[in-house]
Amino acid sequence: MFKELDPILHSQLRLAVMSLLIGIKEAEFTFIKEKTNATAGNLSVQIQKLKDAGYIEVNKQFKDNYPLTTCSITKKGIEAFEKYVKALQGYLHTDTN
Amino acid sequence: MEKEFSANDSIALIEEMINKAKSNFSDDSFLYLLWGWVIFICSVGHFLLLKSGLVKNPEYIWVLTWIAVLVQIFYIFKVEKKKRVKTYTDEIIGYLWMTFGFTMFFITIILGYTSNWVTLYPLLLFLYGTPTFLSGVIIKFMPLKIGGISCWILAFVAKFTPNIYILLLLALAVIAAWIIPGYLLKIKFKKDKV
Repeated sequence: MFKELDPILHSQLRLAVMSLLIGIKEAEFTFIKEKTNATAGNLSVQIQKLKDAGYIEVNKQFKDNYPLTTCSITKKGIEAFEKYVKALQGYLHTDTN
Repeated sequence: MEKEFSANDSIALIEEMINKAKSNFSDDSFLYLLWGWVIFICSVGHFLLLKSGLVKNPEYIWVLTWIAVLVQIFYIFKVEKKKRVKTYTDEIIGYLWMTFGFTMFFITIILGYTSNWVTLYPLLLFLYGTPTFLSGVIIKFMPLKIGGISCWILAFVAKFTPNIYILLLLALAVIAAWIIPGYLLKIKFKKDKV
């Protein structure tokens, strides 16, 4: 079967963020920025989109007088990610058939 | 970065990011070395003091472990502040060693008063092996697994070792379980960073 890919996840940077967060408890914004090689501006926009979709939780606080943003994946995010991977598998099977 | 990409690109990206996150557990070599050397000094020191007969209460040398606890608290506080990512691996290993710490504390308090330390030490040796072996399994690091197994073998040997020589087995156990893996872990992290 040909499944529709979740448009929120089918974007390079948003998928990179989700794939990074799926295996860890939480990560600081600077860590995600470093691992995805994204610019701070673009990353902020994409993180906001993931947050609006309810896929990630964003925590803003202060550490040594500097603003600190940490992100973690939500239950809804995990489910969406798993569904996305299943849909991808469907695409790959279609390709090979 | 918003260009169109295929299902194959997606799979490759997911794999790449998961691998980047996976290898991100903390370098705990400092703690292995701290405890390895402290227990080594205490056990060898205790043995030498007993042999020389110069001191009335040679077991007081173990007070050094309380200093190590303070150093560890200070170190963890400092490291936690700097951490940019929290992984489940670090969390599980943290709880594993915390459970071990509580077990050691209660066993030495409860058994320390009621039984002879010659009975206590083989048990301690066995307990050293468990979190060491499991940490090795969790982070997939063979020297820790070997270290853990060495402790279990030495615990068995201790049962047949004449009293004060058990202290030397304890020193041998921490060399195998914490000191050697500690240095190897340090080298591994330095290499991974390059």
